[in-house]
Amino acid sequence: MQNQNLYTEEGLVEALKNHQNEAYRHLYLHYRGSLYNIITQIIPDTETANDVLQEVLVTIWQNIDKYDAQKGRLYTWLLNLTRNAAINKTRSKNYKNSLKNEDISNYVFNTDEKRAYSQNINQIGLRKEVSRLKEELKIVLELSYFNGFTQEEIAKALNIPLGTVKTRLRNAVIELRKNFV
Amino acid sequence: MDISNYISSGIIELYVMGLCSEDEIKELELLRQQYPELHTAILDYEKELEQQMQKNNTMPSAVTDKRIIDTIDNLKPPVDNNTTALHQPVRFSWYKSVAAAAVVLLAVSSFFNYTLYKKTKKQEEALKTSGSTQNGITLPLADYNILKDPSITPVAMYGVGSHAICRCTMFWDKKTGKLYIMIHHLPQSSASKDYQLWAMVNNELVNIGIINDAIRGRFIEMGNVPPGATAFTVTLEKAGGNTAPTKEETYLTGRI
Repeated sequence: MQNQNLYTEEGLVEALKNHQNEAYRHLYLHYRGSLYNIITQIIPDTETANDVLQEVLVTIWQNIDKYDAQKGRLYTWLLNLTRNAAINKTRSKNYKNSLKNEDISNYVFNTDEKRAYSQNINQIGLRKEVSRLKEELKIVLELSYFNGFTQEEIAKALNIPLGTVKTRLRNAVIELRKNFV
Repeated sequence: MDISNYISSGIIELYVMGLCSEDEIKELELLRQQYPELHTAILDYEKELEQQMQKNNTMPSAVTDKRIIDTIDNLKPPVDNNTTALHQPVRFSWYKSVAAAAVVLLAVSSFFNYTLYKKTKKQEEALKTSGSTQNGITLPLADYNILKDPSITPVAMYGVGSHAICRCTMFWDKKTGKLYIMIHHLPQSSASKDYQLWAMVNNELVNIGIINDAIRGRFIEMGNVPPGATAFTVTLEKAGGNTAPTKEETYLTGRI
């Protein structure tokens, strides 16, 4: 395993922007645990989650020019990019179909074990913290952070005013920050 | 504006988590330039969230690690168009440019005409020699006849899970029990591994045999497919094949 402190944040960003393969390898080894964690909280299926993780790395490579260090830390950008990629995957036609018609490998092979494992994954990390919030705060944050719904969509879905959604979301993240240590 | 109220309103957390609306982002980014304390508060929360999230590790399997690192090592930098000659300022006068373009076009056109002529000749010859090894451009006549045979059942084979990118098409002659596989995309198996084809018959997977995946661009012939098969699956097994499929190594599946 490489020395994980080989790069400063600035040095890493510069190497990433120069498309140095080694820097991407470092980025992967350093951040894969937490990025994969957020993916698996959105996508329980291990194989699809693996695909998303790979796609995320390629997306970073292709879009690193869009990262602006003035606007935030590298990790913030990575985390949001990863979360968006996972949510987009859940909205793709293939993924929806896979939920309706299990593919032949699931049909052929017993996957109970795999499912049980996926459920365990869901109990780690941010989602667990979110699940501890009050019901009315939990639901807006779940829909927003893990399902990617806009504030307007949530207002419509829950049949509550947009202002209420905004207030609940803010209260939810304040509460989350307090608890999440 | 009372910036400390704004800072403690939860807007920073929403912004860093990527949950703000467009309007909220615009407002926050404007205010950020005016209030250094807001800028600092954003950076603080970013660091805090990073530390918390980095504690929650779910590690991908070693196989996934290897696959992704291989992908990373093979990534090529995007082509920077700004440095190509196409974008250099043109200093010729217009008639010189036209003349130069005409000469270039003529040369290019002649070259393509010549290569096209040679290629067509080659393809004609290739079509005549059925079954001979080709360079991948032309399908041998024997293979072409399989494609055309109306009694043959095509089976589209799709990649599974992390192998979603893999594709094959199989053509199954139910009368003879022969099956022809065309690989569109499948990683070359290593010396210690072989792809193995299984057919689903009465809800059980039956071994059909090892796929010689070194053959690319033409059909790989397999035999003895039971007439009752309802689906197929391809797994990667130890060299020489296995008696039962290794489920984690399923590459392709397809139903009739």
